[in-house]
Amino acid sequence: MVLHEQLHEMNPAMKFLVVVVSMLTLAWFFNPWTPALFFVGVVLFQFVCSLINWKLWLLLMIPFVITAFGYLWTTVLFAAEAGGTVIWTWKQFEVTDAQWTRALSLAFRVIAFSSISLLFALTTKPVTFVISLMQQFRLSPKLAYGIMVGYQFLPVVKEEFIQIRHAHRLRGVGVEKWWWQRIYGMRRLLIPLLAAAVRKAERAAFAMEARAFTGKPRTTFFKPVPVRIHDWILVFIFVMLLVISGLSGVLFMNN
Amino acid sequence: MLKSWKLKEVVLMSVFSVVFAVVYLLFVHVGNIWSGFIGPIAYEWIFGIWFIVSIICMYIIRKPGAAVLSETITAAIEVMIGNAVGPRLILSGLIQGLGAEAAFAATGYKRFNWWVLVLAGIGSAVFSFAYGFFVSGYAALSPSYLALMLGLRVMSGAIIAGFGGKWVSDGLLATGTLRGYAISLEKRATSIG
Repeated sequence: MVLHEQLHEMNPAMKFLVVVVSMLTLAWFFNPWTPALFFVGVVLFQFVCSLINWKLWLLLMIPFVITAFGYLWTTVLFAAEAGGTVIWTWKQFEVTDAQWTRALSLAFRVIAFSSISLLFALTTKPVTFVISLMQQFRLSPKLAYGIMVGYQFLPVVKEEFIQIRHAHRLRGVGVEKWWWQRIYGMRRLLIPLLAAAVRKAERAAFAMEARAFTGKPRTTFFKPVPVRIHDWILVFIFVMLLVISGLSGVLFMNN
Repeated sequence: MLKSWKLKEVVLMSVFSVVFAVVYLLFVHVGNIWSGFIGPIAYEWIFGIWFIVSIICMYIIRKPGAAVLSETITAAIEVMIGNAVGPRLILSGLIQGLGAEAAFAATGYKRFNWWVLVLAGIGSAVFSFAYGFFVSGYAALSPSYLALMLGLRVMSGAIIAGFGGKWVSDGLLATGTLRGYAISLEKRATSIG
């Protein structure tokens, strides 16, 4: 199989598990090196093993960089006591080197989390993900097919949202001045949207039952999503990346 | 858990999840714009909006699991839409849902007054804060700042999710579309008795 297709072909449930495990592992590290190295590793991995639109990737990273910046200065300004030597003072604020490394670490953590999330988002097909959850993680078919029905309604819901907005505009409502009026006005948008959703859900459920959908757990599937040897190799690479960035981060900090 | 659920309730929950996934994503953008300037606290005062689906679904369906499942499915749909925050949303959705579910479970799934709904909003706020403390490394922040964050989030959970959720569901009930769900059965029972 081609190298560039590996991440796209990876079993989505396994990929999901890898992302969750990486996040929960990274949360234990408070040094800036570990998340930074992990980020570099993920980007390299994605560069070699996937074919994605890097322009889109950059665009999607922008809000996260802004968030990371917010984390950086908040953590510097409202830092917990961490000891260390003072490296910077401004009026009554004192920033120690320990506080600065922590702040840097949290900011890099946001970037690292975003990179692995984008890796998932840009290489996974949504419906295959749900089918894979059903087959690998025993997600109840009732729930899995329920989710897929909901997902199919997404374009319809969007369209209805726009229609309701237009209808409101025609009648001269929905031009609020203040944010609290807008939050209050959300109800006017939500209720027709939800009422339509209830009707759609009832019709869809009736149609499914009419076609003999019982939602019982099953062992054979129309579209099998297997776990192959490739998936284990990719999982191994991710685990190695985690171990290496974790260990070297701790080593760098101690020197 | 799903044995006692009718298919139409499962589908209702997932279509609601789609509606709220769109709402949630809009609010992520609202929060993102602010967070660069005022830091993670930007999200706190609107945090309640992200708990609302679990309260609405539980208030309407009234079966064990309605809160945690709806919140998790909403997160899953947000991921399926192709949101960049990605799979970790599913985890935070699950935890927020568990917080709301805890409040309903504590009352034995028998009471659905305004104060139970408010309690569910607070439950979500506390659970999600504990999770955020771990994942986002809030330990690096000073205790007084953390107390401010938690206070804002609890308030937001109680008001936006608790009262707001009841307000939206009651409005929906008045449209008459919810006949055949537990919420309107209760209304009928009280009007007879």
